[in-house]
Order: sequence, then C-alpha cells, then structure tokens
Amino acid sequence: MDSNGPIDYLPIAITVLVAGGFVVTTMFVSNILGPKRKGKIKLDTFECGIESQGNARIPFSIKYFLAAILFVLFDVEVIFLYPWAVDFRKLGMDGFWEMISYMGVILIGFFYILKKGALKWDTD
Amino acid sequence: MNTLIILSALGIIALFAEIFRFRKALFPLILLGLGGAFFFTAKEYNHPQIFLGMMNFDNYAVIFSCAILIIAFLWFMMAKNYFLQETSVTDHFALILFSLVGAVVMVSFSNLTMLFLGIEILSVSVYVLAASDKSNVMSNESGFKYFLMGSFATGFLLFGITLIYGITGSFDLASIHTQVAANHDSGLVIAGILLLMIGLAFKSSLAPFHFWAPDVYEGAPTTVTTYMATVVKTAAFAAFFRLFSTCFAGVTGHWTDVLWWMVVLTLFVGNVSAVRQKSVKRLLAYSSVAHAGYIAIAVVSMGAASTSAILYYTFTYSISSISAFTILFIVSRHKGSKDISAFEGMSKANPLLSFAMTVAMLSLAGIPPTAGFFAKYYVFLTAINAGNTLLVLIAVIAALVGIYYYFRVIIAIYFKPEQQLVPIKVGPLHRTVLIITTILTLLFGLFPNLILGWI
Amino acid sequence: MLQYAALIPFFPLAGFIILGLLNKKLPKNIAAVIACGMLLISFGLALGVFMNISGKTEEVQLAPWINVGSFSASFTFLLDPLSSIFLMIITGVGFLIHVYSIGYMHDDEKHNIFFAYLNLFIFFMLVLVLASSYLLMFVGWEGVGLCSYLLIGFWFKTKAYNDAAKKAFIMNRIGDLGFLLGIILLFITFGSSDYHTVFTKANGLMSGDTMITTITLLLFVGAMGKSAQIPLYTWLPDAMAGPTPVSALIHAATMVTAGIYMVARSGILYALSPVSMLVVAVVGIVTAVFAATIALTQNDIKKVLAYSTVSQLGYMFLGLGVGAFSASVFHVMTHAFFKALLFLGAGSVIHGLSGEQDIRHMGGLRKKMPITHITFLLATLAIAGIPPFSGFFSKDEILGHAFSAGMVFWVLGVIGSMMTSFYMFRLLFLAFYGTYRGDEHKVHAHESPKVMTIPLIILAILSTIGGFVGVPESLGGSANFDKFLEPVFHDAYAKMLLMEHSQILSEVALMGITVAAAAISIFFAWNMYVKKKTVPVSEGTRLPFLQNMSYHKYYVDEIYSALITKPLDKISGFLGNVVDNKFIDGIVNASGKLTNWVSGLMRFVQTGNVDFYLLAMVVGIALIIFFKLM
Repeated sequence: MDSNGPIDYLPIAITVLVAGGFVVTTMFVSNILGPKRKGKIKLDTFECGIESQGNARIPFSIKYFLAAILFVLFDVEVIFLYPWAVDFRKLGMDGFWEMISYMGVILIGFFYILKKGALKWDTD
Repeated sequence: MNTLIILSALGIIALFAEIFRFRKALFPLILLGLGGAFFFTAKEYNHPQIFLGMMNFDNYAVIFSCAILIIAFLWFMMAKNYFLQETSVTDHFALILFSLVGAVVMVSFSNLTMLFLGIEILSVSVYVLAASDKSNVMSNESGFKYFLMGSFATGFLLFGITLIYGITGSFDLASIHTQVAANHDSGLVIAGILLLMIGLAFKSSLAPFHFWAPDVYEGAPTTVTTYMATVVKTAAFAAFFRLFSTCFAGVTGHWTDVLWWMVVLTLFVGNVSAVRQKSVKRLLAYSSVAHAGYIAIAVVSMGAASTSAILYYTFTYSISSISAFTILFIVSRHKGSKDISAFEGMSKANPLLSFAMTVAMLSLAGIPPTAGFFAKYYVFLTAINAGNTLLVLIAVIAALVGIYYYFRVIIAIYFKPEQQLVPIKVGPLHRTVLIITTILTLLFGLFPNLILGWI
Repeated sequence: MLQYAALIPFFPLAGFIILGLLNKKLPKNIAAVIACGMLLISFGLALGVFMNISGKTEEVQLAPWINVGSFSASFTFLLDPLSSIFLMIITGVGFLIHVYSIGYMHDDEKHNIFFAYLNLFIFFMLVLVLASSYLLMFVGWEGVGLCSYLLIGFWFKTKAYNDAAKKAFIMNRIGDLGFLLGIILLFITFGSSDYHTVFTKANGLMSGDTMITTITLLLFVGAMGKSAQIPLYTWLPDAMAGPTPVSALIHAATMVTAGIYMVARSGILYALSPVSMLVVAVVGIVTAVFAATIALTQNDIKKVLAYSTVSQLGYMFLGLGVGAFSASVFHVMTHAFFKALLFLGAGSVIHGLSGEQDIRHMGGLRKKMPITHITFLLATLAIAGIPPFSGFFSKDEILGHAFSAGMVFWVLGVIGSMMTSFYMFRLLFLAFYGTYRGDEHKVHAHESPKVMTIPLIILAILSTIGGFVGVPESLGGSANFDKFLEPVFHDAYAKMLLMEHSQILSEVALMGITVAAAAISIFFAWNMYVKKKTVPVSEGTRLPFLQNMSYHKYYVDEIYSALITKPLDKISGFLGNVVDNKFIDGIVNASGKLTNWVSGLMRFVQTGNVDFYLLAMVVGIALIIFFKLM
C-alpha cells in the first residue's frame, strides 16, 4: 500500500473485463454456433412433462413464499458453520461455545416459526 | 454489553409471549426488563468496557444508551394500549426490542461493521413496524417506501464504508482516524466520508435525503411514528456524531461545508413546509425534519460542547415529542381526525391535556422555560464557538418560522370556539406518560445541568 | 444546624403554593394559620441561625443553576451575621404583621390570596438576603418588586390603586436597570457575581478605581429605586394604596431596606470608592431632610408615615455614606420595629374608624383606643430619638459618624431629626388628643381585636428596648451590635481611612444636642396642636408659599409628569400608531405571507412518488460528490 493511485485497481479492472467478457462471449458464441430447430412443442413452457395450463401469473398461497424464504434464511445461517468447521481446532472451546449459542438462537427462531404455524400446510 | 444481552433476551421472551400465553405478563415484564437494562447500563458509567475492538462502552455510549432506554420506557407506556388491540402485539414488541438492540449498538460501536449491523438491526425492524397496520393502505405504503429508500441509502452507506476500508485497510475507528489523517487528500477518502455522511443523513432525515420522512411518518401508525421520531433519531445522531467525531474530526474541511448546506436546506424545508400543514401528524413529521437540522448544527460545529448539546437536544426533543404524539394519539382516536381542527377549543373541557400539549409545543418551538429553549441555546452556542455565526442566524430565523406553526396548535386549543365540551378520556398509562414528560420538560428547562452534567 | 437554614425561605414558599393552589377552597381560618405557621417555623430556624452564627460565615449550596460556557451560577445561600439579622427582622416582624393581618383582612373576600402573596413576598425577601451572589440577589430583588406590585394593587378595582402599583413598578424598573448594569459590569470586571469572589478580588484593588466607582454608582441607582431615595422616591407614598399591613411589612420594615442591605453587603466595594460614598451620603441626607419637610404638612395618616419612611431611609443611606455600616443596619432593625408599629397602629386607627385616613377628622382617640394609643406613643418616642427608646441609639450612632465625616451632614441631620419629632408628634396629637372631629353618629371608634393589638404590644416592647443591644461605649454600653457585625464589615472598614471621632465635642455632648432639639420640637408640636388646638386647614384654602410647596410635595409628581411622562406618551403614541402599525406590521405581515406562499410551493415537491424521491437523492449525491471531488 505504498501508493493509492487508480493503477492499483488495474487487476480488478482486468478481472471485471475477463469475467464479463467470458459470459458475453460464451453466450454470444454458443448462440451462433449451436444448431437451431424451432417448433410449437419446442417453444412451449416445460412443466415436468405435463402439458402447461393457462398463465403462470396466478395467486399462490403465501405458504409457498414463507417456505421458500425460510429455507433461504436457514440455509444461509447454516453456511456460517463452514468457516467454523475449517478453523475448528484454532477456535477451540471458545469457538465451540460461541457456535452453540449461535445455533441456540437459530433453534429459538425455528421453534418460533414452528409454534407460529408458519410451516403448517393444512390449515386454511 | 449487559444492555444488549438483556434487550435481546427480552425480545426473545416477547416472541414467545403469544405462544406460551403469557401475553398479560409481557408488558410489566418489558418495563421491568428495561428498568434492569437501565440499571446495568448506568452501572457501567465511568467504567468503560471494550469488546474485541468491536464495541466500546464508554461514557458516551452509556449515557446515550440510558437516554434511549428512558425514551423507550416512556414509549412502551404510551404504546401499550394501541398494540394490545392489534393481533400480534407480541411480535411488535419483540421488533421494538430488537430495534432497541440496534440502537444501543449504534451508540456504542467502535468498528464500522458494528455501525452497519446496528443500523440494519434498527432499520429492518422499523421497516416492518411502519407497515404493521396491515389493513391500512397508508401504513403499507409507508413501510414499503421506507424499506425501498432505506435500502437505497444503505447501499451508499456501504459504498462509503468500502471506500474507507479500501484506503485505510481497517474497520476500526481508531485506525481509520490515523489512516484518514495520513491520506487526507485522497479523493477516495473524501468520497468515502461523503457517502458515509449521506447514508447517515438519510437515517437522520437531513435534506435532500429527507423525502421519505414526511410520508413515512404520516403513514405509519402514530406509535411507530413516535418511535421513529424519538429513539431512531436519537440513535441516528448519536451514531453520526460518534463516527464523525472519532474518525473525521481531523479532516473537517472535507465534509463540514457539505453538511452546512444540508443543514440550511433541512431547516428551510422542514420549517417552511410545516407552515401549511393541516394535519398535526404531518406537521410534527416536518418539525422532526426541522429538528434534525438543528441537531446537525452541533455536528457541523464539531467542538468540545457538541456532545452535550446533541445529548440534551435529542433527549429533550424526544421527551417533548412523546408528549405531543401521545396527545395527538388520544385526540385523534377521540375525534377521528388528526387535523389541527380536531384540537380546536379543547382547553375548556380538557385543561390538563391542553396544558401538556402547550408545554410540548413550547418546548419544540424552543421557548423558555421549557427544555426546548436550552436545547436550541446550547446547539447555537456550539455553533458560535465554532465561528458559524451565519448558520446560527439562519437557524434563528428558521426557529421563528417554527414558532408560527407550533403556535397554530396552541391557538387552536385555547382561542378557537369549542367544538364540544366532552372531556376526552385519558387512560392511566397515558396520563402517567403525559405527567412525566411535562414535568421533565419543565424541569430540564429550569435545570439543564441535570442532563448536561453527565457528559 | 446551619444547613437547615437553607430551608428558611422554603416554608413561606410552601405556604404560597398551598394557599395559591387551594385559594378559596380553604376556610379563612385555616389559610391564616398556614400562612402564619409557615412563617413561625422560618422564624424558629432563623433564631437558631442567629444563635449560632456569631463570627461565622457559612455557604450552603442548594443546587447548580446555570452553567453556560465559562459562566456559572448556583443556588447558594450565604449565612453570616449580616444576613442573620435581616433574617430575624424579616421573619420576626413579618410574623407579627401576618398575625395582625388576620384581624385586619378578616372581612376581605380575597383574604387567602392576600396571605399567599404575603408568603411569597417573604420567600423572595429571604432569597434576597440569603443570596450568595448578586445574580441570586437580583432574583429576590425582582421577586419582592413583583409582590410589592401585586399587593399595592391588591384592591385593583380602584383605578388610582392600579396607577400607584404601576408607578411603583416602573420606578423600581428604572432602579433595577441600574442594578442590572452594575451586575453585568461586576461580571466583566471580576468574572463572577459571587460575593466571595468579587469581594476577595476587590480587596486587592486600590482605592479610587474608576470601574469600582461606576459599578457602585450603578448599584446605588438600584438601591435608590428600591429604597425610595431622591429622585426615585415618589412611588413610596403612593404605594400606601395597598392594605396597611402591606405598607407596614413591605413599604416600611423590609423591602425598602433591601437597598440598604445591598449597599451594606457591598461595603468593601463602596469603601474603595470615596466618590460613591459621598454620593450615597449626600443623596441620603438630602432625602432625609426633603422628605421630612413634606411630611410636616401631610394630612393623610399613612402619607405622613410614608414620607417619614423615605426620610428614615435617607438617614440609613447617610450612615452608609459616612462609613457607619453597622449603625445603618442597626437603624434598619430599630426602624423595622417602630415603623412597623406605627403603620400597624395607623392601620388599627383606620380599622377602628371604618376606613378614615385623614387626621383632620380624628382626635381624642386616646380614650377609645387605649392600647393603640400607648403603643403609638412609644413608637413615636422611638422615631423621635428620645432616650432610652430604640431609635435614639441607632440614629445617634449614625449622626455621630456623620459629625466625624463633616459638620454639614450632622447639622442637616439634626434639623431633619427636629422635623421628624415635630411631624410625628403632630400626627400623634392630632389623632389621639383633643376632641373627636369626625362624625360621631356615623363612625363608632372602637379598639381593634386582640389579634391586632397583641402584635402592637410586642412591637412596642421591641421598639422600647430594642436599642439596648447597641448601647455605645460612651454611654457605658459595649456596642454589642457593632461587634456582632464587625467580621462582615472588617475589610470595608480597613479600606476606609476612618477619622477618629471628633474631639471638639464629645459624643455625649452631641447626643445631648440632638435630644434637646427633638424635645424642643415636641414642645412646639404640643403647644400648637394640644394647647392651641390648631387643626390643619381643609382643602382649597390658600396656604403660605412654603407650606403650600410642602403640602403639594414640591410638585415633583407634576414635574415628572410634564418632563418625562407626557413627552414619552407622545413619542410612544407616534411609534405605536404610525411606525408600528403601518411600517413594522407591514413588514411582518409581508414576511408571514411570503413564508406561507413558499410553504405552499414546497408542498408540490413532496409528491409522494418514490421515483421522484430517489431521483432527488441521486441528484443530491451526484452534486455533492461532483463539487467536492472536482
């Protein structure tokens, strides 16, 4: 960190260019190179082999969203276990207790949504 | 730290009050818990504690935490009845308690990550609370607007933090201070400081980043508006000043001139817009914007006395605001209208309510012997000591405009023909809140040292 | 013990709050008992202080008050011999007057409010004398002014009474302005208004400092207003419009002596400025003689007493001006006794005659009101300076010092003293001797009830023996009073080059002359009003020039009116009607309209549209970044 000129950010610029360029290039090139066959069935919405029915923009039960967002929530929280696992030895017992209390808080949250009935499907 | 633990535990308990059916016991429990938190916080006065370089519970943090806890205590007394009628009272209380955790973090951080976390913990809870009147479109709109614009502003805040980190290589306030001083002419430092300032200016509703405030304040349930005008504002300014006085006091040239203009704009917009408002709630919303301008004067004029000026101002402003909003709440529920006309001629049948409102209005207008007078006085004093005489001049003119619209309410109460001679019923909790706030407003107006002596 | 002294003012305050809040809900008896009881407690505490204070100085800090920048002031009370004497006078005489008022105000419909005001007055007066800084003293100073205003205009349904109240208030404001300027200059010079700081720093200064002279003269302007000295004395005679106990308490015994207290308290400052001392002495003696000449011809019993108060206050200032601080305070004390007694006696007469105040319509009351008569006689002897009554000792001590300071002061003092004896005995003879000249059928003169006469008796005893605490050494006494106050005035005395008592005439000889002079004028009064039964002529009769001047108070009120009030009225009319209504209001209204209009425009900015808000934010950010980084 001797100087703080824009030149120091050159690697970042190169990375951005390469990353962006790669995406654009591959999509563009594959579009040109790939074979194209068009047909009615081919352009239809794919729905697990069943014929699609109507528009997709219909009201869903809020429960879908709840389940989805709760999944994301817990999924993301569990990710914190990875860095801990990697540094398990170094963090020692302190780390262990910290992780336990962290998981405890998550469990409280889980208990809360359970009790609030957020995961119940059959009630109205 | 004890404050944070108690508040978090209290929040979790509040979550389960509905489930385990002890809703009735929740309210006393919360008051007890806040009392306990206050006790443990106050015990740390003069015993600064540092936690892993992340949090620093110095006297500044302790005093502001205590102020926030007192305000929150009064808020709970004011808001109890409102939320009891809603379906999920416990969730709302839990959200408030969690946002209090955020507020305490905001006044005690010593690391930019903690600042960011504090702001987010506070804000996310308040986004939800603003929309908590689910069946009311206004409330929904308010919550959505706040969320949308809040997240937008958070982006800039984060950008500012990133730039500062990029230059200084640290999130720690102390090392940022030294690094910023070493790289003070770097354009990235300037940009970082300014973006941080913009993010915080949004939270404290300084123009031109105030647009959300009137709409959100008006749309949100009155109790939540009260919370935003008091606790959120106090925490925002405490964080603002803590960050800028620790890190950027050495490079005032980079940011004070911008903030100077923001203050002038805020004073103008807040006060002048309030003049034509018919709704008292919206009037108080604009007045809240205007008061942000006054408080920011103390930040612009960063000096030895700024801390006590900000503490005194935020605390007394919060107390008077709670008083004013409580009365607005009572009157609007009784009359079904939040307009100034709802207050007309209420002095005959409700002398005490009228008196409390008058004291609150006088304090907000800054007229002695109320606390609001000394609040403005000390802020102006810091500005004069820093040589910002022009700013004081502008602020005084703005305050004169302010007197006009606050007195519109007083005039409506006392000098308009009475609409109806039915005394408005005031519940015991609201009565207690009003008595406490009115007495405190007068007491601090007579003995400003009761607050100033602590910092 | 001395810590509890801080509570002394708060009992009357509590009384005021209770009476003020409950007002008519309280029966009169209970209200009176509360008011008097509070004062009795204060008196007990004051007595305790008095017993323990000798030679000590204590400061009791109650609360911090104002802290602004480098300026700070606190609620701190100062207890020393000087303030303890005033405490005793205020609570003691005040208590007696409260008790007296129970009888005097018994039938008044605003009875409870009257006692509330009296209690409030006592509170402020106690704050005034207990203050440990000029600033806090100013609080008490203004407070007593307020109470005086409220009580002069107590019967506010009569316009003349209201005018009198306003006059008192305005005259006092003029004085207060001087006082306030003095305090500000003190701040500038010494950086504080605490007595302790100011006096300590002043002690290091040289005599004749210009700044000190300016300060002391300004402070003296305040004293002139409050203690009714020339030229600000005209309000005091008019102040007699209030109920008589008020005249006794506020306008004779306590409030008007605040100026004396203030100058005595600032003794060290005055000692540093010979010019100010001379001004004080000259104003004092001129007032003393001038007011006495007016009193000679007045026919209203209370007006005579009012001018005599002005005159006696003049004597006290004379004492201060010639450096006899403790003698002045001594005279304050004895004066409080006999003047309160005189006023209460006059009140008793007025009460007994159903409101008659004109001495031409009195006479022969000696038999009908024996107690009032005896006590009034004792008080008159005291004020005339006949030994061994209290006034003799205090007045002679002042005159003795005046003699050392300059022959002319003494001569004028003796002349004033002669006039005092004359008009006081004139009053006594006309009211109590001879035959009754009023309408026997309409008015049945009667003695006042016990609740009024007992305070009279107590005050009469005090007026008689009160002087013995300060018997001078030349008469074989030990001047205890002076010794008690010596620690307070020690530094001030040291600063003055006090002349030794003159050797030309011994102190005893001087006393002999004054007493003889007084006795001669008593004889003249007796000869004129008892033997020859002269009665002052009724209104409208042409009087000889000098008598006419005196009777019309030298037309001072008319002169003030022509020179000051009327021109001011004219200017104020012009400013009010033309400048203010047309010009200033025009500007104010225009700015109000402008604000309102701009506010209307501002509403269009707050569209409620999030897109616009975000745009405004982005534009703001862009502008900020652009201007700061380019």
